[in-house]
Amino acid sequence: MPLISTRALTKRYPGVTALDGLSVELEAGVIGLVGANGAGKSTLIKILLGLLPQTEGEARVLDLDPATQGSGVRELVGYMPEHDCLPSDVSATEFVAHLARVSGLPSGAARERTADVLRHVGLYEERYRPIGGYSTGMKQRVKLAQALVHDPRVLFLDEPTNGLDPAGRDEMLELIERIGREFGIAVIVASHLLGEIERVATWLVAIDAGRLLRTAPLTSFTERTGHLLIETDEPADSLVARLLSRGFSARADGRTVVAELASNGGTEFALYDAVRDEAINLGLALVRLEHRRHQLEDLFRVGGTDERVA
Amino acid sequence: MSALPEPAGTIYDIGFRHYDGPRLGRRGAIAAIVGAGLRATFGLGRSGRSKIIPWGALVLALLPAIVAVAVRVLVGDLIDLYSYANYLWGIGALLPIFVAAQAPELVVNDMRHRVLPLYFSRPISRLDYVAAKLVALSLALLGLTLAPVLLLFTGRVLAAEDLGAALGDEIGALPGIVGSGVLHAVVLAAMGLAICSLAARRAYAAGAVLAVFLIGGVMGGTFQAQGRGLQAFAPLLNPLAILDGAREWLFGGSVAESPVAAADLPLATYGVASALLICASLAVLALRYRRVAT
Repeated sequence: MPLISTRALTKRYPGVTALDGLSVELEAGVIGLVGANGAGKSTLIKILLGLLPQTEGEARVLDLDPATQGSGVRELVGYMPEHDCLPSDVSATEFVAHLARVSGLPSGAARERTADVLRHVGLYEERYRPIGGYSTGMKQRVKLAQALVHDPRVLFLDEPTNGLDPAGRDEMLELIERIGREFGIAVIVASHLLGEIERVATWLVAIDAGRLLRTAPLTSFTERTGHLLIETDEPADSLVARLLSRGFSARADGRTVVAELASNGGTEFALYDAVRDEAINLGLALVRLEHRRHQLEDLFRVGGTDERVA
Repeated sequence: MSALPEPAGTIYDIGFRHYDGPRLGRRGAIAAIVGAGLRATFGLGRSGRSKIIPWGALVLALLPAIVAVAVRVLVGDLIDLYSYANYLWGIGALLPIFVAAQAPELVVNDMRHRVLPLYFSRPISRLDYVAAKLVALSLALLGLTLAPVLLLFTGRVLAAEDLGAALGDEIGALPGIVGSGVLHAVVLAAMGLAICSLAARRAYAAGAVLAVFLIGGVMGGTFQAQGRGLQAFAPLLNPLAILDGAREWLFGGSVAESPVAAADLPLATYGVASALLICASLAVLALRYRRVAT
């Protein structure tokens, strides 16, 4: 039984289709849910939490149907919304302990786990002060703590690094990775920042305009391709011409050349040798030589979409 | 004893502990919101300043009953300071003040700071949340609308020379006492929360609650003074008068000072008006909370 599965999940609002026939199966791990703003990430999370009814299709979370067993699902999952959601006049301790009880924990357990979880997210003495005086980074930690306090099986994080400075961002990502790896809690991280997702996720679900672009292990998104990226210090059209004449396929984009490895029928190294020789002949300085991998961004490039959606 | 003592003050990271204990689900969640709501209403766990109004109102509401019981004990039943029927009308002014000051505590900040999605992503539903808040405020209001009259009742029975006979005399009033207290508490709580759920800040919410009760009372008073046929409807502008009329309709006992006595409406009118008040309040709450985005 997969942790989460959807089948032809569709959500239509008047005039807008937020989710369009989405079918995925997700197992434990840190799952990156990537897509541009408005791609349907938040809608998907809300349907999985049982907060929003789908128009069509099915969803299952922990073998429960969120549409009819929402209360049961929500007892076992945690949710960190994208927006600010903290009151200003209570302390983190008081607030998180209260929400732990609202998740169904008895009061003793709620207090104990609140102390534990605030320590895990890195809030110490300041947890007794009113939240109104916290920095954005501390507030994000409180938001994470409230989602984690009742020991959920699945954690939904909606843009968890929103508004954080680079250091705060690193710490938050580190925490998310720890939650998935050390705490053994499945994490679904929705983000429009591919670079961040790349750092923490083990599995990736890419959606665009409510449709599934691809779902696969992260490694397959960034696997090697047969291309060499060559950057020179001046326009490289002459280099492209020389490579073409040697039988390689290559194209230039300003000072960058992308050439296909082994495209003249020889070995992978033939291209490297050719580039070296022609650069000397033309008196070009090479700035960069890179064996190119698929980038997550490719998913969202025009034209990159169709070739990958099978 | 060769082992070295453990170094003092070392913190061991014992890692994340999972929870295998009981999960109380929706019931536990509702109980937690009711409990927290009651604490908030009486300013428990908050600064001393936020305790002034609720505890002040509670003391003021209890004071007449305490005095009446003391008088009973000292001079016997020669003087009857308060009847059960007119007690609530007597402390009436305290009720809107209590609701105006404390109902916003329960709902406004959750809405304003967008905390509601954190509640709704837990085992409860939106209506569970509203119901829990309503129960919390109603229970708190019972401290003003039921506790003093019960105190009066107990005092009268205990101060009597013949306990059994006194209990026999007074027991018949008990359903009316409890019924009136619950009626006032529930209707006022529903109205208070409905008004507050529409306000963006606590101060506006408090002002709006006071406005509804004061304007109703003042306009009703003006109507009554003017006469000319309008006076019959004057009590229907004042929520407290409506509640007093409904109380009289259900349990009897007229209050001389109440506009209900001066007006000549059938008492059932107040029953219908009370029902409309509570239905309208619940409808406002249901619609308001259905529209909250998660």
